[in-house]
Amino acid sequence: MAKPEQGQATVTPTVDRLIHEPARLAIMTNLYVVESANATYLLQQTGLTWGNLGSHLLKLEAAGYVDVVKGYNGRKPETTVSLTGKGRDALLEYRGQLLSALAPLAGD
Amino acid sequence: MTTGLTDLKTLERDAFRKFYDDGIFDIYIGAMLITMGVAAVFADQMQSEALSMLLTLGLAIAVTVPLLLWRRHLLRSRLGEFKPGPARRRKITKTRLVLLGSVLLGILAFVVAAIAYRADSDVDVAGLVVPLLWFLNSMIVLGAMAYLLDVPRFYAYGVIVGLAMPILIWPDVLWDTRVAPWLAFGGPGLIVAAVGFYKLARFLRNYPVLETGVVADGEA
Repeated sequence: MAKPEQGQATVTPTVDRLIHEPARLAIMTNLYVVESANATYLLQQTGLTWGNLGSHLLKLEAAGYVDVVKGYNGRKPETTVSLTGKGRDALLEYRGQLLSALAPLAGD
Repeated sequence: MTTGLTDLKTLERDAFRKFYDDGIFDIYIGAMLITMGVAAVFADQMQSEALSMLLTLGLAIAVTVPLLLWRRHLLRSRLGEFKPGPARRRKITKTRLVLLGSVLLGILAFVVAAIAYRADSDVDVAGLVVPLLWFLNSMIVLGAMAYLLDVPRFYAYGVIVGLAMPILIWPDVLWDTRVAPWLAFGGPGLIVAAVGFYKLARFLRNYPVLETGVVADGEA
């Protein structure tokens, strides 16, 4: 799990902050429900720009959460992305962390 | 931007369903029905079943192939591509099995009709049983597709397509009233195709062509 960065609030200290960022959460959840997808699919599903998508994919790839494969579909260059086993586990763990963090609010 | 804070099943279903929002499958079903109506007109005018069947087949291919090729390009450039997860793959396999079953049922219906015709059966197989089988087949196939592919409007198509044959044949058999074949097939075909064109127009408006390519190294 990614450690909280310096200066960040500690309201949800046990939540994986790498996944907690909305754009990366959108990428992770969209990849969770498929085997793999190309970048165009992720752009369409998340509404991110190419630059944002690339930037977030780099962070997720560096954490070992996604596999990014650059290749060709016919003659056109194409990026294919899939969630790794580590990424799947991290997303499930994040879900548990978030539910635990919100549990005290239940019944309010 | 969608945050992904939603039920994962809903997320997957909605993502998959988008790939049927283009309306081309609807246009395809409508075109097939219209083709059958046109074939009936050919058969009436040419007095040659073989030539009529050849023309129908040619029409069907002329309609189907360009539509399917265009659909692939349309979806790829606007929605991208994905490999479905295991649950969706199982559903797709089941859909294919239902389609295969439908073809087998069609062959069986043809064989039963041929045998009954030769045996001079008391039951009017061509007039009563075949339209019923057509209706059931249509309901089963399009109903299964609606359920397994999560596209509810296919239930309605099951009824619309299924009724075409009974509307053509049953009035003639039961009440001696003939419905024009181009109307029995062309009418439902036009309705389904119209829905398809409406959905296609919305799809083109709602999903613009996205830039394709690779995410560059170190892109920020």
